[in-house]
Amino acid sequence: MKKPASRSLIALSTSALALPGIAEADAPPLTSSLSYKISNYQEDDLSREQVPFGELERYDIDVHQFQFVSPLGRDYALFIDANHENMSGASPWFSTAGSNGQPVINMSGASGIYDSRSEVSLGVRYYGARGNIGGAIGYSEENDYRAKYVSMSGSRNFNNDLTTLTVSLSHSDDSIFPSDAERFNRVRHENKQASSVAVSLSQVLNPVASFQTALSLTGQSGYLSDPYKLQDSRPDGKTQIAFSNSLRYFFIKADGALQSDYRYYRDNFGIRSHTLDLSWFQNVTRSFKVVPMLRYYSQSAANFYTNIDDFLKPLSESQSSDYRLSAFGAVSGGLSFVTDFGGWSATLTAERYVANEKYSAFTVAQPSPGLVQFTRLSLGVNYAF
Amino acid sequence: MRLTLSFIMLALLAACSQVQPWERGYLAKQEMAWDSDPLERALNDHIFFSKEASSGGNTAAGGGCGCN
Repeated sequence: MKKPASRSLIALSTSALALPGIAEADAPPLTSSLSYKISNYQEDDLSREQVPFGELERYDIDVHQFQFVSPLGRDYALFIDANHENMSGASPWFSTAGSNGQPVINMSGASGIYDSRSEVSLGVRYYGARGNIGGAIGYSEENDYRAKYVSMSGSRNFNNDLTTLTVSLSHSDDSIFPSDAERFNRVRHENKQASSVAVSLSQVLNPVASFQTALSLTGQSGYLSDPYKLQDSRPDGKTQIAFSNSLRYFFIKADGALQSDYRYYRDNFGIRSHTLDLSWFQNVTRSFKVVPMLRYYSQSAANFYTNIDDFLKPLSESQSSDYRLSAFGAVSGGLSFVTDFGGWSATLTAERYVANEKYSAFTVAQPSPGLVQFTRLSLGVNYAF
Repeated sequence: MRLTLSFIMLALLAACSQVQPWERGYLAKQEMAWDSDPLERALNDHIFFSKEASSGGNTAAGGGCGCN
């Protein structure tokens, strides 16, 4: 006669089935959940040395995020995401040489820019015995930009569910129709497309550690310039490669977990970058965590970056003074408080981001005067039912 | 570079052990997930995409925006 499984074995097997990225990939969520997060981030004002005339104020952005996840029958799950953001402020328009020969910024929007963005996406996922497969469609709309995208991904577990291979694909079709196009002689209507593929391999190393390595390749084509800059002309094709490595390690004595993520990136604009993200999840009580975070980022400059626009250069030659194409480094630090009570959980996060050419791991031939610093506050609530 | 990567991969493979299902309690904790807070990750991806030139990572990208 077959012996029934013991209660403790069932409990242990059930907890194993909740494994992140492994058994989680094999079973739909057990309950529905509704999440909402509100965030505000405000970029620091520029100084009068950086901007001799006009606005000093940069963007102030409010973001609202919603997510609904629900099981559909025994083997499927539904995902609905919706975001809305409002932004106001000004951004660098063009760059010239100041009286001392150093670059200075001229800001756009003498009376300020106001814009909003709404996005919704819908996804369905099927969970099988050894993996899962799913897809999503999404739509994003702004006053001057529209994106329609589709994505698919599938995971397969091997090696007694200790190894997971995931392949994902996505495609986005975007339209750009700048505001005040006639008044400022901007392009009227342009398009761009982006397709990407990513492959990741996750491995459980031991009872307290797992590792993931991933490679993603993205191709962009179409209008890749910034229509709001006075002199901005970029190549109409871009290939991006990102190589990522992640480690999760639980320290039993400290009752805390380390999340470590590193990414190396390069593209054919000439940009290379390093990104290192570290988070420490400290369990203070069974229902309260404190999470300090630290991030370091550094990139090299695009081949065609200039910190002083050359208005004599024809638009057929690539050129941009966009600070995001300059060489710089950025350090950000944050702190989150996470609490769970019943089916509810709440997260409060504060973060400070500071970009500076002095932090760069790459050579800075032309420092940008427009690098950004911002402060973010977020409050998120999740309800499982 | 290749030699270093090969060494890291070999070291990780050597570190792998057969973890039985009943030994996976710590791995099942939320803070051990690759994506322990999807909304936070989505927000960060969006903010950094609008401030830096790099993008892409463990999954294929979603839609673009006028922010970059």
